[in-house]
Amino acid sequence: MSSYWIQAISFVAIFIALAGSLYLQSSIGGITNFGIVGFFGVAMYLYTIFVVTLAMPPLLALLAVVGIVFVVALVLGRVILNLGPQSILVATLAFATIIRHLATVLEGVTGAAKGIGTVKMPWDFEKTSDEKILFMVVLIVLAAIVLLYAAKIKKTPYGRLMLSIKDNEVLSESLGKATLNHKVIYFAFTCAIIGLFGALTAPIYTYIFPHFILADVTFVVWIALILGGRMSVWGAVVGIVATKFLFDFGIESALSAFQVRMGPAFGAMWPNIKLAVFGAMLIAIFMFRPNGIVSRKREGGQQ
Amino acid sequence: MDFWSYLASTLLLGIQEAAPLVLAAIGFTLIFRLNGFINVAFAESITIGAFVGVTLNLLGWNIYVSMIPSAISGGLLSVISYLAFYRPALRRGVGKAEMIILSVGVSYLFRHLIKIVWGNETMFYSSPGTQPIKVFGVGVTNLNLVAIGLVIVTAVAITLFMYRTRYGEKMRALADNEVLAKSSGVNPLATSTLIWAIAGVAAGVAGAFIGIRLMVSADIGWNIILFIIMITIVGGIGSVRGAIVAAFSVGIIQMGIALPANTYYASIALLVLFVVALKFRKEKV
Repeated sequence: MSSYWIQAISFVAIFIALAGSLYLQSSIGGITNFGIVGFFGVAMYLYTIFVVTLAMPPLLALLAVVGIVFVVALVLGRVILNLGPQSILVATLAFATIIRHLATVLEGVTGAAKGIGTVKMPWDFEKTSDEKILFMVVLIVLAAIVLLYAAKIKKTPYGRLMLSIKDNEVLSESLGKATLNHKVIYFAFTCAIIGLFGALTAPIYTYIFPHFILADVTFVVWIALILGGRMSVWGAVVGIVATKFLFDFGIESALSAFQVRMGPAFGAMWPNIKLAVFGAMLIAIFMFRPNGIVSRKREGGQQ
Repeated sequence: MDFWSYLASTLLLGIQEAAPLVLAAIGFTLIFRLNGFINVAFAESITIGAFVGVTLNLLGWNIYVSMIPSAISGGLLSVISYLAFYRPALRRGVGKAEMIILSVGVSYLFRHLIKIVWGNETMFYSSPGTQPIKVFGVGVTNLNLVAIGLVIVTAVAITLFMYRTRYGEKMRALADNEVLAKSSGVNPLATSTLIWAIAGVAAGVAGAFIGIRLMVSADIGWNIILFIIMITIVGGIGSVRGAIVAAFSVGIIQMGIALPANTYYASIALLVLFVVALKFRKEKV
């Protein structure tokens, strides 16, 4: 397998896990998190700083990062989760913007536009490609765990609790549930999952720059979830394959021969075309298939 | 830098910084009041205004004349997005938080179409008539002073329109109670379209001002939309006066921090302040 496709599959696994986490937050928990890239980015940077600058062992660094993201999300959640959905959306977007600004402004720690690296794979084999293949397998396994958890949560007492809070918070509260506390912990836990995958993205990039944590990351995850249908976590998988995989790797590699003929101008324009199409896709889904392209009628809210 | 010159710079530069924000926030708050959702794609009305303006300016148009097409393009984009996307979605009963997500999609579509048309490069207005002037020891340009003047005129005009004319009354009636407004003879489509047009015009002019003061790039709208949302929510949704006060405060706070530190720290401080302000608002948004 070429290193191009190893990287492609690794990224798809990461984004599927992110979409699964967003499903947990928005579809089960009713939390409109528009700051996914904030939690993702803070973890990616912290992991890089821990293993590169502080020379910490990878596993310890990973645990520390996930723990820190959990605490950060706990604090943020405590502040914003009892606000209305629009406020939560804007506040999480603000959080992600703050993280990106910090990555740019704390030049001594993050390297700013010069970047920070090199992040090595957590293991050392004779062949670098073997290291990457094992890493890809680990990512696939972890993403599968997130998906299975997300698929089963509706059937667990905890999942039912979160759904009941989402559907009618006042009612759940009157039944004696500490709704805000549950929501905050649930939010922190799911953000920690996002953080885990953010940290694990660092060794794939090897060198980290602030432009890796633009709002585009959040947008791609959201569009995947909406494209696939928010009622089922499998829709998120379909959505990621249709966006990240098809566009970032499928079409790009199919066009690579084409691109040589079109010249660098096309290469510079391609991300714009891609994101314009993503925007149009999102609009089209809202207009024509509000329950996503794989929706089943009985789960549909409207029509 | 001694304290008095710091204060003078902060106030003067802060007001300049705030001028386009004031305009944009007034437009934004009108839509938010009318339809009750945060229209992120409002950012693109700002951006297109800047691009249309700078393009005509580089073709030899006078800077002030080029603001008219800037305004029209912003207004057009706003009306198109309302009629083509938001109105059908609102009529189908799409929820508020989902409307924002839809508007993010519209924003991405428009922003990247703008990049496809104009390219990824930054553009600059050519402003040959610019002269530096010293005001209280702070260097400003005559263009910036005119910009502030124009913002004040526009802000006053929109305020008068909203609170002193029949259309303003109709719009406020429509926002408060659509059924009642309709039965009182308000045409919701015409009134809403007009509001979206006015909001877009304000955004287009704001974009031109940002472009003239700094530069024109496809991200100028997206980069300030969070501040516009913040100004609107803190100033009170639908309150033109609140938006003006909040926008000037934001501009002055930003400069107060940016002068001794840098703009990133200023943005970070403002965003943190914003999250805290959300917490202490009585209205649940």
